[in-house]
Amino acid sequence: MSRFFNALRDGVGFDILLVGAALLFLLALAGAPLLYNVLMSFQQVDMFTLGVLFRPFVGFDNYVAVVRQPEFWLVTRNTLIFVFGSMSGQFVLGFALALFFAQKFPGAATIRGLFLVSWVMPGLVVGAIWSWILAGDFGVLNVILKNLGIIQANVVWKSDPNFSIWAVIIANIWLGLAFNMLLLSVGLAAIPRDLYEAAELDGANAFQRFWTITLPMMRSTIGAVLSLGLIGTLQQFDLFPALTEGGPANTSNVAGYWSWQLSFQLYDFAKGATVSVMMFVLVLFASIIYVRSTRHEVRG
Amino acid sequence: MTAQIELRNIDKYYGSFRALKGVSLAIEKGTFVALVGPSGCGKSTLLRSIAGLETISSGEITIAGQPMTGVPPRRRDVAMVFQSYALYPHMTVEENLTYSLRLHGVGKVEARQKAGEVAATIGLSQLLGRYPRQLSGGQRQRVAMGRAIIRNPKAFLFDEPLSNLDAALRVQMRKEIRALHDRLGATSVYVTHDQIEAMTMADWVVVMRDGIIEQQGRPLDLYDQPVNRFVAGFIGSPAMNFLPATVTPDGKAMTLDGLGEGQIPLAVPAGPGRAVIAGMRPEHLRMAQGPASFHLEVGTIESTGSATYLASADGALQLVQSERAELKSGDRIGLEIDPARIHLFDPETSARI
Repeated sequence: MSRFFNALRDGVGFDILLVGAALLFLLALAGAPLLYNVLMSFQQVDMFTLGVLFRPFVGFDNYVAVVRQPEFWLVTRNTLIFVFGSMSGQFVLGFALALFFAQKFPGAATIRGLFLVSWVMPGLVVGAIWSWILAGDFGVLNVILKNLGIIQANVVWKSDPNFSIWAVIIANIWLGLAFNMLLLSVGLAAIPRDLYEAAELDGANAFQRFWTITLPMMRSTIGAVLSLGLIGTLQQFDLFPALTEGGPANTSNVAGYWSWQLSFQLYDFAKGATVSVMMFVLVLFASIIYVRSTRHEVRG
Repeated sequence: MTAQIELRNIDKYYGSFRALKGVSLAIEKGTFVALVGPSGCGKSTLLRSIAGLETISSGEITIAGQPMTGVPPRRRDVAMVFQSYALYPHMTVEENLTYSLRLHGVGKVEARQKAGEVAATIGLSQLLGRYPRQLSGGQRQRVAMGRAIIRNPKAFLFDEPLSNLDAALRVQMRKEIRALHDRLGATSVYVTHDQIEAMTMADWVVVMRDGIIEQQGRPLDLYDQPVNRFVAGFIGSPAMNFLPATVTPDGKAMTLDGLGEGQIPLAVPAGPGRAVIAGMRPEHLRMAQGPASFHLEVGTIESTGSATYLASADGALQLVQSERAELKSGDRIGLEIDPARIHLFDPETSARI
């Protein structure tokens, strides 16, 4: 008996135990639901088969049905706008802020730290705050834009079909800005200073140094930020119930929220699972890019 | 001869710390100047000030007659070789070499051709397609030099370029850098903490300490005529021995404290009874073959084959003998001291007497 415990403590037994615990956790709480989801997207799910694992197999019927839904293309279009709008906004502004705080001025590190507030806050709270800011009648954004002379009349951000998706994008950019800035700041800090000095002596001006030194040296960081940004944006959920609930008339609905609506508001679990599997394929694609970009580290 | 680089009263403050204290220096065109001194003496700051990477607090810098104070580095037309080499890791050797040409709008074909020429001069022709991470330390060093050469700049600045190389390679690169300098007819400023590098490579050596120039001159002049105890101790390896000594009552000779009553005649008479510091290079002290007036007890003996390094038991004296010696720790030996090769320093001011 004591030999058994010794082996557990000193041999590979303990290592296997630790790895096994983590692996079990991952399989039970991520792997199994994922497989179940994929399985469900190929099954007929209704009131009578809810409680069983092996339901009637229907092949790609659910996929065909989802694509034939009248709102499918609208949701697809919205998802693309949401993903590219949020990502480009987060990335460009995040990079600009990272460059700004990479300059040496008093309080740079402290102020940069304060930006993390947006990252720490729950999405629902951020959604509530932006819901007030974007409010059509009393929102502060309208007041500012009107005083600057950019708009003449109030914009009803959340319920105007032309703006509703942008209302969520603006809030999402704010939510993801700090994360982008932080990762890009780390990437910037990892570039040796003497490279810039060498480039300066070689005759490069500030723009040329950014283009020929900063950007290529940040390649892997940028790849990581963009892939994580894509994953994070596709997973964004909290802002939708807090701001627009996908409306009006699905004009701000995206795949993730739609999947939730199908499953838990319409109780059409098969279609909900199907939409999420389609998204999963997209996220998997992004993950592969992410893993590849971190593998090709270019460091002296 | 005109001064290619001229520095007048350069001051540099980091906060309240004064890194350079009114440094003035004129560097002739075509010379190889070494800035040497212990770490923190300001030599690198001075070099970076010439490059424009540090903004000086006051003073003036001219390069090839052009006032350069406040001019950004990219308009100074000087090239620098960094201690870390600072090669662009995401560019091949050829791209590293031609980076400055491309920035200045030189065409692809011409840049390629120039890179080929430079690579041939420094022995990199086979490596043009490689990335810096695929090169050895010595090869990276060459790329860094090639990157400087290709621009044909007004001056070359070297910031401890050899300190990351192993000893054998360092000796070889020392020769190569000097040969390159001669072939290009360039003006070079070379920062090092290694006085051997300074002595062997430079036409003109500038010894710095605490932000000031202690002494400048031709290498052997610094060796033969150090102006103070610091320069005397810094130049030469192993370092000069310093022994307190006392001038005899008649003022014509001195005795070495701790080495008995033996007298050493003085070339120039000094104040009777005055305390002085006698500086003697280890290679100028000889073991006496016959009777001697000075004796010491041998402490440690190190033989390298070509030379024997002896240290006295009390650690006060070191000597280098080119002959082998059958000695062991504790032996007493006689000492021959050549009066002409003794340097005298004032114990208060450390200045040469």
